[in-house]
Amino acid sequence: MNILAAHKVTKRFGGLVAVDALDFTIPQGSIVSLIGPNGAGKTTFFNCITGFYRPEDGSLFFNDVSLTALRPDQITAMGIARTYQNIRLFANMTVMENVLVGQHTRLKTGMLGAILRSPRARQEEAEALEKAQEMLRFVGLAGRGDWMAKNLPYGDQRRLEIARALASKPTRLRDALGLTILLIEHHMRVVMGISDRVTVLDYGVQIAEGTPAEIQGNPRVIEAYLGRGAASGLGQKTAVVAAAA
Amino acid sequence: MNVRLASREGLLTGFINLCCILLGLTGLAGTMVGGWFHLSSRQPGAWLLLLGIAVWGGVRAVRRVPDPSRNKTLIAGLVAGVMHGLTLAVSLWLISTLLDAGAEVRKWLVQLTPEAIRLLTFGLSPVAAAALMFVVMTTAGLVGALWVRASERYPWQRTLSKGPTTVRTRFLALPAVQNFMQRKHSQQILWGGGLLILLFFPFVLGQYWNYTLGTVGIYVILGLGLNIVVGFAGLLDLGYVAFFAIGAYIVAILTAPAPHGIMMNFWLVVPIGIVLAALAGVLLGIPVLRMRGDYLAIVTLGFGEIIRILSKSDALTDFTGGPRGIRSVGGPGLFGFDVSSEFYFMYIIILGIVLAAYVTLHLQQSRVGRAWMAMREDEDVAQAVGIYTLQYKLLAFATGAALAGFSGVIFASRNKFTGPEDFTLLVSINVLCLVIIGGMGSIPGVVAGALVLKGLPEILRQLADYRMLAFGALLILMMIVRPEGLWPSTRRQMELHERAEQSGEPDAGSSPETGP
Repeated sequence: MNILAAHKVTKRFGGLVAVDALDFTIPQGSIVSLIGPNGAGKTTFFNCITGFYRPEDGSLFFNDVSLTALRPDQITAMGIARTYQNIRLFANMTVMENVLVGQHTRLKTGMLGAILRSPRARQEEAEALEKAQEMLRFVGLAGRGDWMAKNLPYGDQRRLEIARALASKPTRLRDALGLTILLIEHHMRVVMGISDRVTVLDYGVQIAEGTPAEIQGNPRVIEAYLGRGAASGLGQKTAVVAAAA
Repeated sequence: MNVRLASREGLLTGFINLCCILLGLTGLAGTMVGGWFHLSSRQPGAWLLLLGIAVWGGVRAVRRVPDPSRNKTLIAGLVAGVMHGLTLAVSLWLISTLLDAGAEVRKWLVQLTPEAIRLLTFGLSPVAAAALMFVVMTTAGLVGALWVRASERYPWQRTLSKGPTTVRTRFLALPAVQNFMQRKHSQQILWGGGLLILLFFPFVLGQYWNYTLGTVGIYVILGLGLNIVVGFAGLLDLGYVAFFAIGAYIVAILTAPAPHGIMMNFWLVVPIGIVLAALAGVLLGIPVLRMRGDYLAIVTLGFGEIIRILSKSDALTDFTGGPRGIRSVGGPGLFGFDVSSEFYFMYIIILGIVLAAYVTLHLQQSRVGRAWMAMREDEDVAQAVGIYTLQYKLLAFATGAALAGFSGVIFASRNKFTGPEDFTLLVSINVLCLVIIGGMGSIPGVVAGALVLKGLPEILRQLADYRMLAFGALLILMMIVRPEGLWPSTRRQMELHERAEQSGEPDAGSSPETGP
């Protein structure tokens, strides 16, 4: 069963067709990678899934619910979380607060509850703290909760970003590892090593789709992408969509 | 190269000194110092100011020297002093020659009286006075250089900028304080004690200070509200005065006898004012909050002016009293007693501050406050982690507006009057300034900022016409020395962190007094 299904998704910026009638599916529980040269439309498609862009044409379904009319926060609430190519944390908030913000859609305390510190609000806050601690332990940041996010070393910032993304999951962590992942990554060894399937984009159009082995042998991919000397990887650009099981 | 930099510092401070003379600040310093020490002459004060600035020039020049040997230091000080002296000597010669020739200098420079010039020339001829000035200022530059060498061992500047924070951490690290903080109800005891002090406060103060500090208090409430909008949510609102005005006009229209004669009870009007101001916040917010940063600032600025101009427009004169405002605004009563004097208003204001601080503090440490801060840090990411940014912006705007409306109600009722000129752009800017000066996002910072911004001008009344000038200079100085604000927000966790690091020192040292 497909957790995400895109049908003929098209996104234009003026005369430029960034994503051109793209069909794309992610089977439940799999790791699917999206690759392509710079400007191929990977990030644009990503932004269509997460609701920051509204596609001009086509449809997007997450667990059979249409995403095209939803706001980014509503889409997140359904269980899609993302991390960024260049890490984007809430720099002037503590590590713990970053993870707590990640739980935003799972918490219910509103203005009144917050002002009056109702018993329900207190209990929810305590549970949220506990869950955040668990997340931080999971990514190896236990004991760093009081640090300002901006003071973390680079690698730990990435860990924190992942913890923040995981925190939006509805289930507790031990049930949560059945993630479905959409990966955008320029590092070919990573992509070929972990992906179940790979989709290659060029100029907004899908030019190949298959297992890593099939992609590596595909002449069109080599011409469009690997042939330009990018096979060895262009650096540490990574972006992940983790979708709730 | 050092010579060029040093001479630039000398010229710069010389120019500052010249401005002081031209604006009459030297004469003012003379009057003030003379007043403090009961001197008959104004000369000591005037020269104290001149010499102080010249010495400062020397200090600045030496600071420009990368690795100061003794000779280099002295040369830098000398160069700065010479340039400083030249600037002043030439200007003084020019001015006194002009005065002697009977030129109408005062036409442009009101403060340049012959008497003021005599303070500097000692009645000498222009050339002699200029020479004297040159020698004295050169010496002052050298003194500055020597002073830097002498004070190098003690970095006073760093102490000045970190002082308050250091004092606080040291205080929190005291064994007695530590013991107290670990007790079960320490928080409640602190709050209770603070409240008790506040309750006796108005008794001690006279009518004048009750009124002045009441104004400070109203600005504290305003500041706490804007702190939510700007400090927490990061929305730059330059039209905040609009909500203040709405609160004030609501209480005026509903309680005054004049344009409508509704004459409602004050206590009923308070919630109405708060709710309507919050509603105005939402109504303004819906179209405006789609903008970001500078654009938001400009649009809100316009809104603030629209409300003020509307309130004095001809079309609404029947409704708002037009430019003449509304008189005889009703005050609060309690069981048939009239409690609308400054004294009783102080209590209402204190209560308002406590409530506002309570609300702000609880919001800050909740899901709502975290969502605001996340929006401030990165709006896109905030949306991506599931925060409906428009809703939370509206919440911030409405909460801020509600507090502004509340203080507007108190303000108009206490003054028994409201009019369009109470709500100029300057109010918005003042409130924004106090939030920034206190330390963005910090609740005690708002109180400190309001005291400085609204209280200091009262203390500076001695300076008469130069009050606002001195005030501006102080603000600039503060932003240089403590750019993070008077009382910057450190999260509770961060404090604990610091305390844990610091607590090693006093424990290892001597602490026999911590017994029962």
